[in-house]
Amino acid sequence: MKLSLSTIVTIVILAFGALAPFIFGGQPYILYVLTLALCYTIPAIGVNILYGYTGLVSLGHMGFAGVGAYTTALLMKDVGLPFVPSLFGGMFAAGFLGFLVGIPCLRLRSHYFIIVTLAVGMILFTLFNNLDGLTGGAEGLPGIPRPGNIEIGSFVLDFRSLTGFYVLTFIIAALTFGLQYILVRSDFGRSLSSLRQDESLAAARGVNVFGHKLAAFVLSTAIAGVGGAMKVLFLRAAAPLSFDMNESINLMMMLILGGAGYLVGPVIGAITFIALPEFLRVAAEMRLIFFGFVLLILARFAPRGICGAAEVAYRKLANKEANVVRYT
Amino acid sequence: MSAILEVSDISKSFGGIQAVNGASFTLDHPGIYGLIGPNGAGKTTMFDIICGRQVPDAGKVLFHSSRVDGVEPYKLSRQGLARTFQECRVLPEETCLDNVLFAAQSKRMTSEMLQVFTRNTKHRRDAEVEARRLLRLINLEQYADQPASDLSYGQRRLLEIVSCFMSKPRILLLDEPASGINPTLLNTLRDFLVELYEETKIVFLIVEHNMEFIMSLASTIIVMHQGRVLMQGAPEQVQADESVIDAYLG
Repeated sequence: MKLSLSTIVTIVILAFGALAPFIFGGQPYILYVLTLALCYTIPAIGVNILYGYTGLVSLGHMGFAGVGAYTTALLMKDVGLPFVPSLFGGMFAAGFLGFLVGIPCLRLRSHYFIIVTLAVGMILFTLFNNLDGLTGGAEGLPGIPRPGNIEIGSFVLDFRSLTGFYVLTFIIAALTFGLQYILVRSDFGRSLSSLRQDESLAAARGVNVFGHKLAAFVLSTAIAGVGGAMKVLFLRAAAPLSFDMNESINLMMMLILGGAGYLVGPVIGAITFIALPEFLRVAAEMRLIFFGFVLLILARFAPRGICGAAEVAYRKLANKEANVVRYT
Repeated sequence: MSAILEVSDISKSFGGIQAVNGASFTLDHPGIYGLIGPNGAGKTTMFDIICGRQVPDAGKVLFHSSRVDGVEPYKLSRQGLARTFQECRVLPEETCLDNVLFAAQSKRMTSEMLQVFTRNTKHRRDAEVEARRLLRLINLEQYADQPASDLSYGQRRLLEIVSCFMSKPRILLLDEPASGINPTLLNTLRDFLVELYEETKIVFLIVEHNMEFIMSLASTIIVMHQGRVLMQGAPEQVQADESVIDAYLG
């Protein structure tokens, strides 16, 4: 059986992710950075479905992640619900808000839609920052409990430990990745992709442009809600600054860096975006400049991100058509 | 028997410009129809109104007795109206085969969601056999697995047309299919359209400026001039008509 480049990369990333607790068991800092990167991978996958496949740019996505985060945190902290229903609560809250925002906004042309998402993100940030009684305001919401233990016979996985929480985040990120994989290979994924390539043609072939965009937007915001929830559970505190405009733009940059429209693009982008600055802390003053240069070089020489550059290199090496493209 | 497509008293203006002014015609039986006229005659506006891209100011469009003016293009497509565009449109990132298969796929979201796990089902394999047959008819089978962006303009035009047939339309609207196609490919296109008409026996409505192409292909010609239908008849009648010669053919 011949494996495509995307399959090989996926297997390598999944294997690395699964083995990371064993490889970096004695290095909690690396595991911390990887867990944080996974927390960003989840909403980046949501943005990939929206931008990479459907062609819609959202600059307020971390606002929706914040809705998922605060909902999950409040359900666990104040209501006392267990982790799974709380996470679903956060996911549905973010998705429902995406639905409400999507209905009026998705009929707008591209740049107006981008501006509206930016505005929605800013409104949500203002709400997180000012609804003191609910969100804790600018001080945030501390003391969010982590999920309890899982006991399978004599095996106990403590999610309050760094390793345990890494495993939990990895499982959720892998499930989100699996959902993305199934989705983009389906007829629905093909319809979304057709919208990005030519909306008029898609409509002429029977695609309900508004309906499909709305479905993609809701799905994407719901996934962002899950990512936001995992982030605040990991940090054990929810703060408005975790979901502001800069974070939304960072999320978009992660995707562009990794490669929009590639299955592994959001994974590679999130890991690179989160991990690279962390590992450049040795030169704290220079790291942002260095990072800026990396982005400039990528924008100039690899506009389709790391995955796009890898695809080109693979084609040259193999002297054949690479199979990394989307749902092939 | 009711007409397949009936266009009645359609008017449409853009600001102060009256693009279509009370135009009417009827396509009452299967056949290849040509829609011709000088620039500014209102052909493209009429075409867009039939396809749902424009809403008429007045008049109505009936498709198999159902009123369809103002109906969204995706709904018309699901009712069996397939179209091509004046500027050739294909999905550039998809392979030629996927372009054709995409036209065959049900775009209803519920069925799409249900089919999330069924990419390689028998239905898709059957569709693939038909898609390859159609690609063979236009000599594109060898490019089946290449991205559509790799094709020449003329080949992309053929791919766009062939994709329409995969949705098993009841009426096919072609907007200047011969434009930008070299003479060799034009013969392929003509043969292909005739062959598919013989096979499907549906209505083909073709907007065209290439007189030689349309007159040799269509059984009925509709002539538009200044937003109105000047004449509808057989190609020989149209070519001999004084008013058409004055207005368009020269």
